Amino acid sequence: MTTLAETYKEQRQQMLLPLAERLEAHLRSIFEGYARIDRISVRAKSIERFVAKAEKQVEGKLKYDDPLNQIQDQIGARIVTFYKSDVDLLAEEVKKYFRHIESRQIVPDSEREFGYEGRHFILFLPRDVFDERVREEESIPFFELQIKTLFQHAWSESEHDLGYKASAELASNQKRRLAFTAAQAWGADLIFDELYRQTTLAPQ
Amino acid sequence: MEIGSIHSFLIHPGKNQEEPHDINGTAVAKNGRLFDMLKRVFDNAEEECQHDISFVPDTEAEQRNECRDSFLAYLKSCDLPTGRQVAKRLQAVTTNKSGLGLLFLMVGEHKGEMKIVVSRFPADSGILAEEKAKGLSVEFLERIFMKSATSYKAAVYSGRSHDNDFWKGKAVDKQINSAESYISNYWIRDFLRSDFLTPGEAGTRRFAVAVRDAMNQTSDSKVKEDIAALHHFVAGMPKKVVSAHDVLDQFHVAEETQNQIKERFHREALFEERFRFVPDEFLKHVAFKTVELDNGGLLTASTDRFDNVFKKDIVDQSHDIVKFSTQGKVVDQRFRKTKS
Repeated sequence: MTTLAETYKEQRQQMLLPLAERLEAHLRSIFEGYARIDRISVRAKSIERFVAKAEKQVEGKLKYDDPLNQIQDQIGARIVTFYKSDVDLLAEEVKKYFRHIESRQIVPDSEREFGYEGRHFILFLPRDVFDERVREEESIPFFELQIKTLFQHAWSESEHDLGYKASAELASNQKRRLAFTAAQAWGADLIFDELYRQTTLAPQ
Repeated sequence: MEIGSIHSFLIHPGKNQEEPHDINGTAVAKNGRLFDMLKRVFDNAEEECQHDISFVPDTEAEQRNECRDSFLAYLKSCDLPTGRQVAKRLQAVTTNKSGLGLLFLMVGEHKGEMKIVVSRFPADSGILAEEKAKGLSVEFLERIFMKSATSYKAAVYSGRSHDNDFWKGKAVDKQINSAESYISNYWIRDFLRSDFLTPGEAGTRRFAVAVRDAMNQTSDSKVKEDIAALHHFVAGMPKKVVSAHDVLDQFHVAEETQNQIKERFHREALFEERFRFVPDEFLKHVAFKTVELDNGGLLTASTDRFDNVFKKDIVDQSHDIVKFSTQGKVVDQRFRKTKS
């Protein structure tokens, strides 16, 4: 019997990798010439991370009963920009060129917490990325796009890496240290954005 | 393709009405001439519905759309109460101008996918002529429902997963095809709470990039000339629903130029796809820059290549004297009237 990992591996090879490559080129061509974009990257979710997500449980039950159809970030794109003002501006541009079914500003649950932040979209894959080999009718419909500042990007990459590689859940003191770095990234973003607006956008 | 159930509802105008008319509905028998006609609508829905659309989320943060939810509920139950919820949505956006209509909800299965077709036939009046043994009888009939060539509306959605599928579909509203019409607010925006799958800026950009690439890559001066003229016409075009093919036909662009532009679309379906044209977006990608000098010289090139085509040197900064130079093979030259 074919396992979920094997099915996803084939889907990834046949569909997701070519789509990710074309989507990255498409995003680059749209945002070419926009100021202060540090990078644009698109990835097909790794087999390990897909399986881990598919096995996620909520209240003792599997969160996804049809993960190959339900998990929407099998293709994930990220645009990293300099300042928080750029994130808002790029989010408006994204809405001009892509249809979304979800657009969220992800922030920690309470004002007393610091952690993951970013602007997330669930977008329809544009029709430009399909061809005869990967047909629109047979493809997953969506991809996830994140727009982040450099500091949000740096923090989330390190946090993801630590969380992924850690053999056990982080201790309370370690979580506190992570939250501290998130607070510093948040503060850096705030100040850089203020400086940017004062020095660049303010009338001379 | 097997139809599982069909329900029909009579929709009176109900927009902004405090006490809208009761909605009467019925299940349609799966035999007879009415069924045969509806089966054709169901089977041919993908071909008839030429516009790719997607539901628009009700709120930004949640993957929900009220109309989609009502379709999903009907897909699950296929009964009169859930069908009536769909009918209520249509009634709530139906104005007196749209008039009385007959709504059909059809659900079936094809290759393991669920499919729902939603269609509305407008009410019309007509004359029934019957030949009898002793002559002819004529009778005026009201409430005739026709799959009218000018106002038939339909939408089709199919999929397997209620979570991920049924977000995009295909629709037809014959009013959209009218050259003057933008988008049918009644059917697509108000009732289906949807929009074209390809946003106006994206469709326009795709077209503009194809035009720009055709111009930059061709050595045919006639093609370049056609594109320069197209640029002029398109600048004044309103925001209407068109395909790239429609625009080129509308301005009678020569076949050779059309072919060169079409080649830049990597699928023919994209050349034919309709979207809401955004003139400013087109002009962002296809623009010409012209510099006029006080000696009567005029220099023109596409904006993005102007600085590569013409080298500019400062001759006398205090008097704004500059020298432009360029080099190439003459492929065309002509005389034009000077400015009056």
